[in-house]
Amino acid sequence: MDAMNPEKRSKRGPLFYIGAGGLLAMMVVETAAVLGRHVGIPVTGALEIAQACIVFAACAAMLVATLQGAHAAVHMLTDRMPRPLQRHVFRAGSVLAGLFFAALAAGSAWLAFEYWDSYEQTEVLHIPFRPLRAVVTLAAALASLAFFHRAMRAEQKP
Amino acid sequence: MSGLLGVLALLALLALGVPIGIAMGAVGLVGLTILIGPEAALVKGSVVFFESVTRFELGVLPLFLLMAHFCFAAGASRDFFSAAAGLVGHRRGGLALATIAGCAGFGAVSGSSLATAATMGEIGLPEMRRRGYSTAFASGAVAAGGTLGSLTPPSGALIVFGIIAEQSIGKLFTAAIIPVVTQTLLYMATIVILCRIRPSIAPPSPRIPWAERGKAVLRVLDLAALVAVVLAGIALGWFTPTEAASIGATLSLVLCAIRKRLTWQSFCEALGRTLRTSGMLYVVIIGALIFASFMSFTGLAEQIAALVHRLDSGPTATIIVIALLLLLLGSVLDGLALMLLTAPILLPITTALGISPIWFGIFFVRTMEIGFVHPPVGINLYVMHSIAPDIPIGRVFKGVLPFLAADFLHLAMLIAVPAMALALPAWLA
Repeated sequence: MDAMNPEKRSKRGPLFYIGAGGLLAMMVVETAAVLGRHVGIPVTGALEIAQACIVFAACAAMLVATLQGAHAAVHMLTDRMPRPLQRHVFRAGSVLAGLFFAALAAGSAWLAFEYWDSYEQTEVLHIPFRPLRAVVTLAAALASLAFFHRAMRAEQKP
Repeated sequence: MSGLLGVLALLALLALGVPIGIAMGAVGLVGLTILIGPEAALVKGSVVFFESVTRFELGVLPLFLLMAHFCFAAGASRDFFSAAAGLVGHRRGGLALATIAGCAGFGAVSGSSLATAATMGEIGLPEMRRRGYSTAFASGAVAAGGTLGSLTPPSGALIVFGIIAEQSIGKLFTAAIIPVVTQTLLYMATIVILCRIRPSIAPPSPRIPWAERGKAVLRVLDLAALVAVVLAGIALGWFTPTEAASIGATLSLVLCAIRKRLTWQSFCEALGRTLRTSGMLYVVIIGALIFASFMSFTGLAEQIAALVHRLDSGPTATIIVIALLLLLLGSVLDGLALMLLTAPILLPITTALGISPIWFGIFFVRTMEIGFVHPPVGINLYVMHSIAPDIPIGRVFKGVLPFLAADFLHLAMLIAVPAMALALPAWLA
């Protein structure tokens, strides 16, 4: 399995299904909420369900973009560099990206730990924040690992 | 001083090809570490991260992208072009006019300049070349028309601006309507004038029977209705932008099924593309928000605002200077990087001068659009060159020049008459 190469990797792995599921669930819930509001049958807590769905969709989306090397970058200068130098620059960029996500993962884990006993939850449906914080922390950690993995290979643009 | 160093560090990282979101986030985190300490910086960055991925309003981005991909799967791009070509294609320059109209129509469902230029280029450019249009004129028309995708609501650029600037996305969409219409009309006027001056650049095509024209127009009625429902819903307050995006995505999925274009393959492809683009945008937004926090701690924007105040140059002169700065930076940075780098610095300055943030958002995206077609970056021009590699890039540049003149005229109109952007939101409020 080659997780870093978009050509070789299956496009419909678990991340795809998690992200697509979150996205479609949000779409359905919000559409039902709008229709419900206009016909007099409000969907209670629709916003909170959508908020939970978007966490899964957003985290999976960030990982999909990272694994497929789809992050927006300016390549005007690097495209004109000699190949070996280009490789070093991409490797440095990937290390920086890995460190950035590692910092976010560490910070998120810290916050999750701090708030663990405060039982954060949404107001209407009481959806707990703990699993959401765990998902966000995990996503940042996985993105960090993906960038470090790329830095070790340094074959693709970050 | 730290703010200026931060901006320079960011520019250096961007030049070295570091992804935009990561460059902004890393500079922001390091800057915050220096200013407020590592512990507070880590907490600040993580709070921004968590709040961004749990933010309901940000759901508008992936859902509008999903709507765009379902519309694309439903054949929206070709249908918009065919309808416009059926109506005006037989006139001199008619296919170029159809391309501009197609760009405006497809821009409304794609929300992206690049996607509009690439898609309409694939459809319009070969057709114009087949009918003997000048390659410079044809490629210039598509490249310029593609920029309409950035401003035509629901626009991705306006959504990102709304999030960064904490402004109502609904108001931004409504404010964009008149500028988009006037920009489209100016491009069309440019085509008509060019065809009057040099008729050989765009020969007339054979007239299509009325029955076929009618069919072509009927084919886009459902797509036009979808866009109308989404925009009217937001403008008239039937639903929030996020709800509008959900309705738009659901209706476009239904529309795709009714048109018998919905297969498991196209469904998964639309979802996969949406996830990839939204993931990229999420990282960019998170990075930009961390960078904006750092900027607010440096006080750079306030210092520049104080300098502007001391110069006592007035809002119009300041806006002209900002426009020149954005055009200059836009010639070396891509649109998204330009917006995320400068909006947190420029917005407090313009707000201090009493300029409406909604107007500034429209002005910003409009200026950013010009960067898509002016050298040396002019990404839409390179898109045209990649679609038709036999057209030298110099000819594409030459072809876009008259449209660039129309762009500058339009920008001047927007500065001189702010009501172009502000009248509709005020009227609908």
